[in-house]
Amino acid sequence: MANVLEQLLNALALAGLLFLVSAGLSLVFGILRVVNFAHGVFYMLGAYLGFTAVALSGWFWPALIVVPPVVGTVGALLESSTLRFIYRRPPIYQLLLTFGLALILEESIRVLYGPTAKGVDPPALLQGAVNLGGLLYPRYRLFLVVLSCTVAIAVWLFLSRTRAGLVIRAVAQNSEMADCLGADVARVRTLVFGAACALAGLGGVAAAPMTTAYLGMGISVIVEAFVVVVIGGLGSIVGSMAGSLIVGAAQTWGAFYLPETAMVIVYAVMGAVLVFRPWGLFGEEE
Amino acid sequence: MKRREFLKLSATGAVGASMLTIPPRSWAQGPIKIGMPAALSGSNAQYGIQAKRAAELFAKDVKGKGILGRPVEFVFEDTGGDPATAVRKAQKLVEKDGVKFLTGVALSSEALAVSAKCPEWKVIFMSTINGAGSLTTKSFHRYFFRVNTSGPMGARAVSLYLAEAPMKRFFALGSDYAWGRDSVASFTSQITAVKKEVVGTDFSPVGTKDFASYIAKIRQSKAEGVYLVLAGQDATIYLRQAHQFGLNREVKPIMEILELENMKAVGDPMVGAIGSSRYPFTLDTPKNREFVKRFHELHGMYPDMFDGETYEGLEWLAQVITKVGTDDVEKVIDAWEESTYEGLEGQFLMRKCDHQAVQPGFAVECVKDPKYPHPVPKILATYPGDKVTPKCRTEEFS
Repeated sequence: MANVLEQLLNALALAGLLFLVSAGLSLVFGILRVVNFAHGVFYMLGAYLGFTAVALSGWFWPALIVVPPVVGTVGALLESSTLRFIYRRPPIYQLLLTFGLALILEESIRVLYGPTAKGVDPPALLQGAVNLGGLLYPRYRLFLVVLSCTVAIAVWLFLSRTRAGLVIRAVAQNSEMADCLGADVARVRTLVFGAACALAGLGGVAAAPMTTAYLGMGISVIVEAFVVVVIGGLGSIVGSMAGSLIVGAAQTWGAFYLPETAMVIVYAVMGAVLVFRPWGLFGEEE
Repeated sequence: MKRREFLKLSATGAVGASMLTIPPRSWAQGPIKIGMPAALSGSNAQYGIQAKRAAELFAKDVKGKGILGRPVEFVFEDTGGDPATAVRKAQKLVEKDGVKFLTGVALSSEALAVSAKCPEWKVIFMSTINGAGSLTTKSFHRYFFRVNTSGPMGARAVSLYLAEAPMKRFFALGSDYAWGRDSVASFTSQITAVKKEVVGTDFSPVGTKDFASYIAKIRQSKAEGVYLVLAGQDATIYLRQAHQFGLNREVKPIMEILELENMKAVGDPMVGAIGSSRYPFTLDTPKNREFVKRFHELHGMYPDMFDGETYEGLEWLAQVITKVGTDDVEKVIDAWEESTYEGLEGQFLMRKCDHQAVQPGFAVECVKDPKYPHPVPKILATYPGDKVTPKCRTEEFS
């Protein structure tokens, strides 16, 4: 029983991190119609800035609050200075641009921080493990589960219940019509891009105590995030939640019960979704 | 232009050009070039960077005198840790830059790919980092030399230490590629030979960010120690997560390579981990103390395993070239075989049969020492070269 609970919590903690990254990726595609290859690097930027903030202040909590807006601002600035000018070009331009941005950001981080992984200690309150009926489980991972669930509910409420969410959904559905109805589409795009980067940044800071901040974390997470959004459906927040849970569960349970096939399971699920529901579990058929 | 003017101009030009080509000191001949197709970016960049740091110190140490009165020139190429790129970059170094010696290759997978090409290119591959046992067994050829301690040798040093230790049950977790699989197999056969048990084995993909599933398995196995064949950030992430799960207290981490890199990134949670070290910088010999001092002056940090081993390789290569009086590849190979070298770690011997350098092996423990800003390796036991080096062209020990 303790074993099942442990596997469940492991899957949830990983799914939580995946959600924070894939939600933004999915949103950006929904609103901007851009497959943002640089998205993983914002996650990485969040982790490294988190390391710096903790090193400077000695506290984890301020880092968790300050870093996401900073990453979001960097993202918004990059959107308004580069991506904005090529929305009308074929998609390959945007893909190449974001790929280039990813390489530039990743190498800049390497030059600034060096090649060594940077460890971040969890806040004192969340250090060590807690005993859950015979199961020793790290406090920090429980916190990750709570944090990502809270963010997921908040994002969903924001998009479905607020006026700003309504505008965003309108732009996603038909940007020209939304423009005619008085929505400032350019501004919505910049804000959504920034918000998506902030979410990835939050994921990065939150991940740092668990995975450390290391080079290559952006690339590895973006591949998984793509799998998540392909399974869940591009542009759908609920899809990102479902996709994250499926990928998180497939990875942790696969590694535990079927170690030789762990990598295959995730891609097999993705393949099956592509064959039977190419638009994803919660995506809309186009 | 008149004929006279033309002559005057060309004469001036010729004099000028000849002045440009006169080297600052009068070197005997062109430079001795050493090619480093190293992983300088990507997730294994720290190893390529260690090789580069060692090369920079070596270049500084031989500045002015060179080798055979010829300057030493390092040509670096970034492979990103990818075998196909490594082969392409190595080919460029050989064909375009004309290097006769390749070294600094970070990963065993890259080394296997590049080394396979060396007989055709007629250049020497000097491994100073690569652990995979197969490089000196089934993939061995005349142009390959391994100066560093191999994976099976590291596993041997740890096994010799564990044979004396009270722990009896072990779990082995390796990185899922040549080095990890080789070393886990080697560890398993050696530990069962001393009547101890390996109760579970698993392999995690390179770049695993969540070790929770592996940690759960290790805990369930009720092992007393976990043998880890993980490098760089994989090891860092594992050790941090195992600490958060409270596993390090229950199951002692035993690492095939106990790296300074990890000690810096993991910090105090790593104290108490044991393992083997290819080169522990805390080694107390006059030559090593001198080296550590020079290294620290140049780079502002203490040398990690491959800083030391790459430096030893370069110094040994220079010694061999000096002895034969030429950088001719075939002559260097003949002279290197059965030659000895006084390295930072002690006496080295290059075996003729498989070009594996026989050298001491170390069992070390990660400890806190107020002299240093981070945990450091403390030597628990030193084993002589003939005890830790496998029999020729095999991964077996006598």
